[in-house]
Amino acid sequence: MHDMDIVKVLANKGYILEPDALDMLKGSRDPDELIGRLLSGLDPSAFIISGKDVARIAIKPAATGIAGTPPDIRILKDITNNSTCIGDYDEFVGYFRNRFSILGDMMRNRISSRPIESILKKKGMRSASSSEKNEISIIGIVSDHRVTANGHRLIEVEDQTGSISVLIMKDSDICDMPVLLDEVIGVTGVPASDGGLFIASSIIYPDVPYTNVARHSDEPAVAALISDVHVGSDTFLEDNWLSFLDWINGDSVSDQDADLVSRLKYIVVAGDLVDGIGIYPGQDKELHILDIYDQYKKTAEYFDQIPKHISVVISPGNHDAVRQAEPQPALPEEIRSMFRNDNITFVGNPAAVEIEGVRFLIYHGRSIDDMVSNLPGASYSYPEKVMVELLKRRHLSPIYGGRVMIAPESKDHFVIDPLPDVIHSGHVHTVGICRYRGVLLANSGTWQGQTEFQKRMNIQPDPARIPLVDLKSGEVSVIKFGE
Amino acid sequence: MPKTSEAQELYFKKLENEFLKCRDIANKARAQGYDPALQSEVPSATDLAERVEVLMGVEGLAVHIRFCEEKMSREEASLQVAADIAAGLVGKFDKKVDAIQCAIRTAVAVLTEGVVAAPLEGISQVSLGKNDDGTDYIKVYFAGPIRSAGGTAEALAVLAADYVRRKVGLAPYKPRDIEVERYVEEIMLYKSIASLQYTPTDDEIRLIVRNCPICIDGEPTEQEEVQGYRNLERIETNRVRGGIALVIAEGIILKAPKVKKHVDKLKFDGWEFLDKIIAGSKPAASEGSKEDEKKIKPKDKFLADLIAGRPVFGHPSRPGGFRLRYGRSRNTGFATAGIHPASMIIMDDFIATGTQLKVERPGKAAAMVPVDSLEGPTVKLFNGDVVYVDDVKSAIAIRNDITEILDNGEIILNYGDFLENNHTFVPSPYVEEWWSQDLALKTAEKVEIKTAKDAFEISEKYDVPLHPEYTYMWHDITTEDVVYLSKYISKNGRIEEGQLILPLEPRSKRILELLLIIQKVRDEKVIIPPDYTYTLTRCLGLDTDLSVKDKSPYDSLDAHPWNAVSTLSGVTVMERAPARIGARMGRPEKSKLREMKPPVHVLFPVGDAGGTRRSLLDASSYSKSLSDKIGEIEVEMGKRRCPDCGAITIKNICDCGAHTVPYYGCPDCKIEGLKTETCPRCGKPTTSNVMQKVNIKALYAKALKDLGERENFDILKGVQGLISKEKTPEPLEKGILRAKHDVYVFKDGTIRYDLSDVPITHFIPREVGLTVEKVKGLGYDKDIYGEPITSPEQVIELRVQDIILSHDCSSYLIKVCAFIDDLLEKFYHLPAYYNVSSEDDLIGQLVIGLAPHTSAGVLGRILGFTNASAGYAHPFFHAAKRRNCDGDEDCVMMLLDGLINFSLSYLPDRRGGKMDAPLVLSMRIDPKEIDKESHNIDVMARYPREFYLATRDFKSPKDVEKIIDLVSKRLGTPAQYEGFMFTHGTSDIAAGPANSAYKTLGTMEDKLKAQLELGRRLRAVDEKDVAERVINSHFLPDLIGNLRAFSTQQMRCVKCGAKFRRPPLTGTCPKCKGGRIILTVHEGAVTKYMEVSLSIAREYGVPKYTIQRLELLELSIQSLFQNDKSKQMGLADFM
Repeated sequence: MHDMDIVKVLANKGYILEPDALDMLKGSRDPDELIGRLLSGLDPSAFIISGKDVARIAIKPAATGIAGTPPDIRILKDITNNSTCIGDYDEFVGYFRNRFSILGDMMRNRISSRPIESILKKKGMRSASSSEKNEISIIGIVSDHRVTANGHRLIEVEDQTGSISVLIMKDSDICDMPVLLDEVIGVTGVPASDGGLFIASSIIYPDVPYTNVARHSDEPAVAALISDVHVGSDTFLEDNWLSFLDWINGDSVSDQDADLVSRLKYIVVAGDLVDGIGIYPGQDKELHILDIYDQYKKTAEYFDQIPKHISVVISPGNHDAVRQAEPQPALPEEIRSMFRNDNITFVGNPAAVEIEGVRFLIYHGRSIDDMVSNLPGASYSYPEKVMVELLKRRHLSPIYGGRVMIAPESKDHFVIDPLPDVIHSGHVHTVGICRYRGVLLANSGTWQGQTEFQKRMNIQPDPARIPLVDLKSGEVSVIKFGE
Repeated sequence: MPKTSEAQELYFKKLENEFLKCRDIANKARAQGYDPALQSEVPSATDLAERVEVLMGVEGLAVHIRFCEEKMSREEASLQVAADIAAGLVGKFDKKVDAIQCAIRTAVAVLTEGVVAAPLEGISQVSLGKNDDGTDYIKVYFAGPIRSAGGTAEALAVLAADYVRRKVGLAPYKPRDIEVERYVEEIMLYKSIASLQYTPTDDEIRLIVRNCPICIDGEPTEQEEVQGYRNLERIETNRVRGGIALVIAEGIILKAPKVKKHVDKLKFDGWEFLDKIIAGSKPAASEGSKEDEKKIKPKDKFLADLIAGRPVFGHPSRPGGFRLRYGRSRNTGFATAGIHPASMIIMDDFIATGTQLKVERPGKAAAMVPVDSLEGPTVKLFNGDVVYVDDVKSAIAIRNDITEILDNGEIILNYGDFLENNHTFVPSPYVEEWWSQDLALKTAEKVEIKTAKDAFEISEKYDVPLHPEYTYMWHDITTEDVVYLSKYISKNGRIEEGQLILPLEPRSKRILELLLIIQKVRDEKVIIPPDYTYTLTRCLGLDTDLSVKDKSPYDSLDAHPWNAVSTLSGVTVMERAPARIGARMGRPEKSKLREMKPPVHVLFPVGDAGGTRRSLLDASSYSKSLSDKIGEIEVEMGKRRCPDCGAITIKNICDCGAHTVPYYGCPDCKIEGLKTETCPRCGKPTTSNVMQKVNIKALYAKALKDLGERENFDILKGVQGLISKEKTPEPLEKGILRAKHDVYVFKDGTIRYDLSDVPITHFIPREVGLTVEKVKGLGYDKDIYGEPITSPEQVIELRVQDIILSHDCSSYLIKVCAFIDDLLEKFYHLPAYYNVSSEDDLIGQLVIGLAPHTSAGVLGRILGFTNASAGYAHPFFHAAKRRNCDGDEDCVMMLLDGLINFSLSYLPDRRGGKMDAPLVLSMRIDPKEIDKESHNIDVMARYPREFYLATRDFKSPKDVEKIIDLVSKRLGTPAQYEGFMFTHGTSDIAAGPANSAYKTLGTMEDKLKAQLELGRRLRAVDEKDVAERVINSHFLPDLIGNLRAFSTQQMRCVKCGAKFRRPPLTGTCPKCKGGRIILTVHEGAVTKYMEVSLSIAREYGVPKYTIQRLELLELSIQSLFQNDKSKQMGLADFM
């Protein structure tokens, strides 16, 4: 369609186009369809059509096109209303056994492992038969980890039959492989002649198969990933947040974003909607809204401004009003009812959700704290690198006893199974995106400026940036709001 | 001039002779070889220099210290001695680093009077590091116990290190940028975990680390790790090092002016950064000391971290709280305050002798003692009566009828404590001792006041203010109230038999109550007794017939009500209580035997064979399996070798009779009999410890037989394993005798009894259970006025090393003495020494006083016993242990017990292991060589009038120092020990409740209820604030902490006690093969305060924020401990 055709069509209907409006119309993939929508939505008394009008009426997805299709959200895994924990010892045991059995099974087709007990029984046998010199494999959960006086590494692993010390020599190929407490690994090596010790030659993680291919949606719908809004904090960046709301409403959308906005159909929130109360000592001095319910009321007001055709999935974080122990259930009914939009799905943390055939694993990301303290080289500036390590271990929070508080549920909800296509986290307030063996890993930053605590810890947040995932192509782009 | 009088010298000699007797006995016992060493291991020292020499173990050090101290101040001497050690003038060292380490430690030891463990335990290591330019610098590793040295010594340790560095020619430390930032992060993190007196700014930390020529390093003290600056090449740990935070924040920054003084004197370069610190932050000067506006500024710091069950007695400076009275009683001062014993009872018994109070001023805390010459409390009863209480009996009689405590009564604080804390004076109330000095200025005549009328006449005749007894709390009401009351009485009152009768009316009634006027309410009428009636009407400008005296008396009255009253009455009326002292309960008083947890009779290992009770009897009937020998257990112990016959044994004495010595070897290289600390082949540390099979059954049977004892005790408890370096066990016989006498041993082999420290400078024989003969027998011959002692009621000045213990302590010490006598006779075959059968027999016996964190005991003599649950001793005695009396506690042990049974070989082989052990014993207290705080004790009989005037002007205590008689002015003369006086007497140092209600109430809920109920009754307390503070500072942190602990908890095996970071997959204990494993944190521990928190939160209407926090926690708890599936089953599910 030529410029003149567009001008003509509209002139015939009695409208004059401003140049930017013309640019927007001709830049779209289907100008005819857009013009049709524009005409049906325009106020008949209007005379001049501006770029804003085009964005507001035409690009803002109406009840047609991609955005008009009904939402397709399926919850695959969620603790909400399924918490069975009552806090007794057997549950703790069951929790770890469940982890061991699922993660162990993942590796069983790659190595043929033996029960640890069977190796221990050999201990003390004088002359091992020649076959004992051959390498054997074990699968175990790490219970201790230390460096010997001579610089070798000693890892205690256990399965349901017993426990054995695994020695990694300091000059071996695998001496730099990071091993975390309570993760499940497969070890191949030889038992030492005097028993009780196992000398490792290779270590494997459950990991993601090379053959893994991400699922795609048929429709080119877009999902926006956000987290850590922190409504109620005195460092909540309301201006930026409001421009985000404007943006999804089609206001002040630049040309290059117009297409994205028109296809935006989902918003996924990975926790910390509000700043909460009593999360850290002296928090009341850094709060703008002191009442937890008022914090959510304000949040609900914001979410009411999200267009109806966009579906929202909300998972809680450590600042939200649910139990701190993970897995956390979805926000309580009392709070959910404040959100009047019926386009919001509340899930727990973590939660596996399928959106238009693409599998999302949403996890707030508390375990990143423990990973940063325990994993050499890990830092808050590159959360996606930490997420890769978690994915390799097929577990969202392997380390027990650190910052992550756990509720001993009968199933280990942190196990990454089945494999998702997207893992979406937050918590650390920095944006990081990468792909590992077909899985998209994204940390979605924050809407809070630098806090006192972050100043002291020298943490620079990446506020007001949103990763947008194209569910069809799998491509990700990051939009920035404010300065 | 001699430093002691003849009598004083005689006293010291007497103590020394007794001591020597005991030491001879101990050495005789020790010489038999049953103990780790052949002589007593508590060396005595006569002065500071000797103590330091003993602690440092460097010969000739004492002589050198004395030499240096003669010419210079203590601080200069410490630096000089350090430099001399480093230069090789004193002591011999293999390596330069060792000399430097010893030098720095010695400097700290001299600064801390050779008493605390800080030099040994607080400076764990000194080593050399390499700068990026290749030069060497000094790293000083500070550890947690450095705290006990105090800020000045911490800072000067760094200065001493620099002094030494210059002498030996090493380079200053040149930090890398990342290292500087590491300090910033680490100190801030430490601050959030532990407490720091001062929080430095980031730039202050950078300034110090960048410029300090010494690298302040440290051992990790906390579990937490830094997040940002990790894995630095020159910093060995990522964990938080508490020592660096203490030394930088509490040492260098807070004591910068002091350090600067020495730097200037020594003409050091490189310390110019101190100027910036001094200019930048004045944390000490800004708070408390400056009250420019001449107004009392309420301080609420003492209310921080309020704990459930420990009541608030007064919010900051609030009317109705304790009224300040300046002075010193014979049992106060040195961070101890006194109140009337009736006040203690009216406070629902929460305050007893020795109970710690956190106070608004002058210091942070004070121990409490009864002083019955003070004014007691004034209370309102349910029937409306207002009663002044000044005796214990009536306090007990009316305690259940009280609806409101209008006034807490007086609290006595001494000049010295204001001086010590450098706290600006707050105005003194107008008191009798001031009034009499005002009067003395006007007349030399002796006057007598019997009635209110007399008081007014004298004021008019001599133009002096109205006598305090007739001065009411006019400042607590307004001038408007004065006018209202005056008019009301004039209009509605009538006088009957001198009593004022008023119709009951709320406002006038309240005004009268606030004035603290005694009154009765009968038939809707308020009745005020005659003397009060006279004073009241005069003060309100009324005539005896209640008519208004002047025509227009109420015009142009001063806004200050006391001035208004002066105008109306025609005499000067002063402020009766301008300063109130806010207070809350700190820790309860202590008087309790020391037990380890679990309690132990003998330091002998039983491993798991003794069960959870560590019972030796269980161990002796234990067998691992059916085939094993009964009573044979496997435990780790130190090997010893007989030098004569070469036998290897665990015993200190060989069967051939010779004394054995530890036998070292290298377990890896299987080499034995090594004399070096490290193995010559592999370089690892050598050890004498090995797992050995011990036949407990046989050992035990032999011990019983040798002693001639039968098994006439319920249980004999050992320890699971030994934690000393050489793992030397105690002889079993000692345990058998301890079990027989029901006494428990501490980690160092001694038996101890803990008591709260309280001071006393004068005693009355009656109150400590002494007769006139007994007192004389102890060497006392004159009372405080120099009169011969003829009555047990005379007040006598206390000798500095005499102590008064609790009755409960005496009954324990009687058992200890019986144990020692048994030990001497049956084990060492020596004659019994104590022969004590009653409390009386203990009087005059010698003990060792020893405080935690210190390593030097002080010789003391038992003078008598008291009902109070605390340990009374001369402030010098406490100061010699480096304690003041602000709620500290420490222990006593019998001298012979210490001398015979203490051994270095038992001390734990870890950081801080040498703390709280009598590594040396101070024989004689030299006031110059004890904690300087004791030099600020005032010893006058009356404070001069100028002092009182100075308080009204908010002057600094230093401004009047010259007119106050202080210990510091008497140092070096015989008067340093004798001739002390006090301003306020007390008739019984143990009056009031024997134990705080905090200790006698059972559950936390009862305590909390009592705390809030008392708060409700106290006029000076806002019980809503108390409830909120308790929730915020006690319950919420507890709930949050336990919830977190639950969800990250460790597991434990009930059978063998093994701990697991997480449950093993096997479910049962892999260590003991199948033991049942349980949680270490249970639901009960998490939820215990939930209900009570919510109920008091709602009842007292605390802010919504707090209530919501509690509700969220409740939600968390429910979610964690309730099954979603089962909790939804309601009645509806069955219908």
